[in-house]
Amino acid sequence: FCLFLIIFSEKMLSVFKNIPTHMDYKGQKLAEQIFQGIILISAVIGFVYGLIVEQFGWTVYIVLAGFAVSCVLTLPPWPMYRQNPLSWQPTLPETSGEPSQKPQESLKKKKHK
Amino acid sequence: MNTVLSRANSLFAFSLSVMAALTFGCFITTAFKDRRVPVDIHVAKVMLKNVDDFTGPRERSDLGFITFDLSADLQPIFDWNVKQLFLYLSAEYSSKSNSLNQVVLWDKIVLRGENTKLNLRDMKSKYFFFDDGNGLRANKNITLTLSWNVVPNAGILPLVAGSGHVSLPFPDTYETTKSY
Repeated sequence: FCLFLIIFSEKMLSVFKNIPTHMDYKGQKLAEQIFQGIILISAVIGFVYGLIVEQFGWTVYIVLAGFAVSCVLTLPPWPMYRQNPLSWQPTLPETSGEPSQKPQESLKKKKHK
Repeated sequence: MNTVLSRANSLFAFSLSVMAALTFGCFITTAFKDRRVPVDIHVAKVMLKNVDDFTGPRERSDLGFITFDLSADLQPIFDWNVKQLFLYLSAEYSSKSNSLNQVVLWDKIVLRGENTKLNLRDMKSKYFFFDDGNGLRANKNITLTLSWNVVPNAGILPLVAGSGHVSLPFPDTYETTKSY
């Protein structure tokens, strides 16, 4: 039974690892702009509405709603955050001559987005 | 490294910061408001006794019983930064032993959403009006004031005295009732 549990948990882990969580760099920037925009807008709406109805609780609820919406929109890596994948260099065939030059170049490219 | 967790973290931190800013805004919008309202206090009866005060120095002390009427409209005090009001009626007087005595006679909590029009008739004081000696008998000037603490959602806890207090002389003899 213990063995079964271990196998099961390993399978669960691999399932979790297979969930795609990756966003490309432009997607990360877009996600951040989206959640900041949503929360700021909901904050302004909530503040004005709370001031009008004289209930600060409504302000809190509206900001929480904005939080929930931006969680749904920006936490999962939706396809719109994967529109600009990095163009990696094609895998180089293993050569014996000058092995140190080319990998460095590709490293530099990665750092520049 | 940008993962689901790191995005959730930054989203949560940003929301909390925005919420803190909003709370501060709520405080700022109400910080400079005048929370005084007119209060009408009327004392119907005063009874004075001279009894053993077992909490004090084992001597007979003055004990006053006050019956009062109270009316005030507290609606202007409430806004979106007020959770409750703590009202209390206090008596201020000077006696031979102390230049200023303050005794709380009665209090009441008014929650937000409750009836804000106070109209109380023939109220008895909740707490004993004990002097620490014989300072109440024939005291010419005992002032009753209604004050309140404003309990806010955020910010300072103001202590406001209502405008409209009543001053009255106390009876000259014990065990007699004085009507006003």
